[in-house]
Amino acid sequence: MAKEMLLPKDPRYLKYPLEAPFDQEKARWIAFNCSRCSVCKWVNSWQVKSAKYARICPQHTKYLYDSHSGQGKCDLALAIIDGKMKWGDDPEIKDILFQCTMCGGCDAMDKNIRDAELVKMYRWMRAEYIKEMGPLPEHKPMLDSLKQYDNVWLQPRMKRNSWTKELKDLGIKDLNKEKAEVLLFAGCTYGLSEELKGTVVNIAKILKKVGVDFGTLGDKELCCGSPAEKTGNLAEYERLGTANIKKFNEMGVKIVLTPCAGCYGTMRVAYEELPEKMNFEVLHVTEYLERLTNDKKIKFKKEVPVTVTWHDPCHMGRMGRPYVPGKDLLGVYEEPRNILKSIPGVELVEMERIREYAWCCGGGGGAFSGFKDFAQWTARERIEEAKDTGASMIVTSCPWCETNLRAGGIGMEEKMEIVDLFDLMMQAL
Amino acid sequence: MTAKAKNDDRHQQILNAFQSAIGADNVRDNPATVNAYFGDFLPPKILGMSMPPEFVVLPNGTMEVQAIIKICNRYKIPFIPVGSNQWSLTGSPNRPHTVIIDCKRMGKIHEIDEKNMYAVVEPLCTLAQMQAEAYKRGLYIGSPEASATASCIGGHVFQGMWGVGYRLGVAYRNILGVEWVLPNGEILRTGSFSQDADNGFWGEGPGPDLRGMLRGYAGAMGGVGMVTKMAVKLHPYPGPKVWPVEGMIPNQTSVLPEDRFKWYMVKYESLEDAVNFMYEVGRAEIAGVIQKWPTVYYIMWWSNSCEQYWTEWQKRTFQDNVKNAVGVCLWGFSSGKQLEYEKRVLEDIIKETGGKPVKQEVQDMWVPRQANNWIRDTHGSRMMRASGTFLALRLQTDTLKYAIDHVRQGYEWVDKFSPPILDSDGPDWIGGYDFGHFGFGETDFPVEKTPEAIGDLMGKLLEMTKQDVQNGLENGIGPFLGGVYHAMAGPVFGYDRLLKGIKKAIDPNVVSNPPHNFPIEN
Repeated sequence: MAKEMLLPKDPRYLKYPLEAPFDQEKARWIAFNCSRCSVCKWVNSWQVKSAKYARICPQHTKYLYDSHSGQGKCDLALAIIDGKMKWGDDPEIKDILFQCTMCGGCDAMDKNIRDAELVKMYRWMRAEYIKEMGPLPEHKPMLDSLKQYDNVWLQPRMKRNSWTKELKDLGIKDLNKEKAEVLLFAGCTYGLSEELKGTVVNIAKILKKVGVDFGTLGDKELCCGSPAEKTGNLAEYERLGTANIKKFNEMGVKIVLTPCAGCYGTMRVAYEELPEKMNFEVLHVTEYLERLTNDKKIKFKKEVPVTVTWHDPCHMGRMGRPYVPGKDLLGVYEEPRNILKSIPGVELVEMERIREYAWCCGGGGGAFSGFKDFAQWTARERIEEAKDTGASMIVTSCPWCETNLRAGGIGMEEKMEIVDLFDLMMQAL
Repeated sequence: MTAKAKNDDRHQQILNAFQSAIGADNVRDNPATVNAYFGDFLPPKILGMSMPPEFVVLPNGTMEVQAIIKICNRYKIPFIPVGSNQWSLTGSPNRPHTVIIDCKRMGKIHEIDEKNMYAVVEPLCTLAQMQAEAYKRGLYIGSPEASATASCIGGHVFQGMWGVGYRLGVAYRNILGVEWVLPNGEILRTGSFSQDADNGFWGEGPGPDLRGMLRGYAGAMGGVGMVTKMAVKLHPYPGPKVWPVEGMIPNQTSVLPEDRFKWYMVKYESLEDAVNFMYEVGRAEIAGVIQKWPTVYYIMWWSNSCEQYWTEWQKRTFQDNVKNAVGVCLWGFSSGKQLEYEKRVLEDIIKETGGKPVKQEVQDMWVPRQANNWIRDTHGSRMMRASGTFLALRLQTDTLKYAIDHVRQGYEWVDKFSPPILDSDGPDWIGGYDFGHFGFGETDFPVEKTPEAIGDLMGKLLEMTKQDVQNGLENGIGPFLGGVYHAMAGPVFGYDRLLKGIKKAIDPNVVSNPPHNFPIEN
C-alpha cells in the first residue's frame, strides 16, 4: 500500500480560491505568496525579442524603484494588512497605488507562474486607501461628474445623445421605447468627445448597412462604471454597474455591443462579480464585425494603401475575460487583426509586445486624469515601439488609448497617425 | 525605517551625501519604498530575520557606484548590490542602516562583438534580454532554470548551472573581463579591461586570476563589492533568430527546429543505470543538455495551476513514467549532419545501456511545454506553485556517480521530516556538466509555508550542515550559502584564512554585504 500523499494543509494551495470574495484575507494571500521572482516586471522570457522592449510594467519602467512594481505592491499590501504600515504613513503610497494604469501586464505575467489576481488586489488596495484617505483630488472631478451626470466628462445628460443627431435619417431605434436584439453602447468617451464621436457614428452606419437590428439608449445611457471601478471608488461603480445590468435585462437585449475597450473589460469581467445576473452577451464591436466580415456581410470595396500596426487595448485583451486558473488568458486579439488583414491595401506589421504581452498606452486606471506626465510618457514609449515596425499608423479600438496616444505624440519629432479601426474600415467600405 | 532614524542627524547627513553624489531622485528613504526591498520566498523573510534597508539608491555608472560605496565607508554602513532583483537570497538586509544599491539605471548592453563572440553588459541586463540580442546574431547565452529574468551578471557569478552548460561550460566559466568597485571604493578591472576599459574579450589576469574572488561555487553574494560591467562569452547558436512560441499564458509551448534540435527522454530501471547513461553520453562528447530531473520538477514546471499540480500529482502521471528518466537534447551546432550523427550515436548508447523511451504521451506532455526551459527559461518561478515556497537540502558538485549517494541521503532526510515537507517522491536532480566531467546533485522539495514549519526545518538543516562539516563535507554543501557557510566549511578545506584575508584587505570597514563573503566582524 502506497504511503498516503502529504498535501498542503492549507486548501488554497490545492485550489486557488477563485470564488471567494475579494477581501483582506484574499489580498493577504496573494501578497504573502509573492516570491519576489520579478516576473511582474518583465515580458515573459520566452517572448522577449529584444533588449529594448523587454519590460512589461510602465510604472516600474518609469519610476524604477521596486515599490512601483507588482512585487512592491504586494510588499505594501502585506505591510498594511499586518499593521506594519498605515495608508497615511508615507505620501508616496498614493503614487505607488494610483500611478499604476491597471493594465494587467504584471498580472498576466504573474499568472504564468502562480494563481493570483494582482489587478484585483490593487483595486482592493485603492478602495481601502480611499476609505481612510479619501478619493484622490485629481479624481474628484471625474467622480463628481459620475454622481451628477452619470458620465465621466462633466457633460449634461442630454448631450450624451448628440452623436446620434446626424444619424436621424437612418432610423436607429431608441431602446428606451423600442425592442431590438442588439444594444450599441457607445460609452462616455466615444459618445461625448467631439474628436471621437465620429467613430461611433461610423459603427452605427456599418451596422445599419448590413441590416443589424440594433438600437441605442440615447441620453439614458449611463457610464459603465469602469473609471470608478479602476480608481477604487467601488460604491459608485456598483451603483452604475447594477443599474446597467438591470436596464439591459429589462430591455431584453441579447447582445450589448461596445466599441470601448474600457466598457468591454468592465462588463465582461467586473460585472460578473456583481450580484445582479446578466441575461445578455457582451461583445466588443470588433468581435461582432469580424463575424460579419467572415460571413461576407461586410465587403471592403476600396483599397486603403497603408502599413499599420495594431495596438492591443489592455481591457480588450489580457484583462478582457474573467480569470480561470490554468486557462489561456483569452481576449479580443485575433478579431481586429483579421479585419485589418481583410481590408485591401492594408499591410499589418506587428510590434514586439502584443496580445497578452502588450505595452499599455498609459491612459488607464485613472493615470490619464491623475498622472498626465506619466500617462503620456507611457504613450510615447508605445509610439516608439510602433515606429520601429515601419508602420505609419497605429490602429486601435479604445477611446482612452486613442486619446492618450495622441496626447503622448504631441511634440514628438516624427508623427504617427493614431486611427480607430472602425474609421479605417469605413474608408474601405 | 523608524521615525527615530529619520530624525537622526546622521541619517540626514548620509541622505544629503547620497543625494549630492547621484541626485535626489535617485535616493529614497521613505517607508513605502524601502519596504519593497526585503521580501522573498526564502526563510529569512518568512522567519522575520530580514528588515527593510535604510536607503535605496539608484546609481548610473561605475563612478556613481564608487561614490556611493565611498559614502558607505565614510559612515561605516553596509551596502548590498542587487541586479535584476529576481529572488533575494542574500540580497535582503539583515542588519540596520543597510543601503540597497539597486541597478535599475544600469541595464545597458555596451557591446556585442559578433566576431569574437562576447557581449559587455551592465548589472540590470537580464539573461532574457541578452539571449534575445544574441539569437538575432546567431549566438547563444544560457540561462539557469531558475529564470532568464535573472541579471546576466548575477547569473554568471552565482553558480550558473545552465542546461547547455553541459556543452558550453557553466556560467561562471563564461566570465571574461570584469569591471568592479571593491568594497573600499577602488575600481578594479580584470582581464583585457585592465588594458582597455572598452575591450572585455579576455578574462585572465593580469597576474593571478582575480575573477576567483568574485565567483566560486555560489558567488560572493555581494561581499566583495559590486560588478558594474562584465564581458561574457557568447556561443554559436543553430536556432531561430526569434524564440519560437505557440499558445498563450499559462499554456505556451516552444518547439525548436527539428533539423538542429532533438529531445530524447530515456527511462532506466535504476538511478545507477540512468547515471551510467549520462556518463556514456558524455564520453561520446555529444549533446547540448543532459539532465535527470526529479519527478517533482516535472510537475512544478509543467502544471499551469495549483489545482492541476496536485490533481496530476495524485494521479502519479510523472511519478510512474519519468522516475529515473534522463532528458537529452541534441544540438546540431554546426549542421544538420552533426545532429544526424549525434542521433545515431545516442541511439546506440540507449540500446547498449538498456534505456527505454518514456511513454510518448508523457514525452509529448513535457517536451513542448517545458523541456526548452533548460535552453531558455521562462517557468522557473513555478517552483513556488505547490505550496508557496520550497527548500533545498544540500547542493553537491562532485562526480556524477557521487550524485547518486548524495540524492539518496536526501531522500532519507526528506522522509524523516515529512510533514512539514510535502509529497515529493524522492527528489533527485542530477545534472551532467562538461561532458560528464562533473555532476551536480540537488534535493528540492515543497514544504508547508508557515514560520513554524520553516523555522523547524531550518534548524534541522543547520544541524545537518554542522554534522556534515564534522564529517569532512563528504555529503555536499548545505544550503547556507555565503559568508557564514564559508566560516563553517572553510577550515575543512583550509581556505578560510585566504577568504578572511581578502575580505579584510578589500573591505576594512566591513560594509560590503556582511557577513559575506566571510564574516570578519567582532
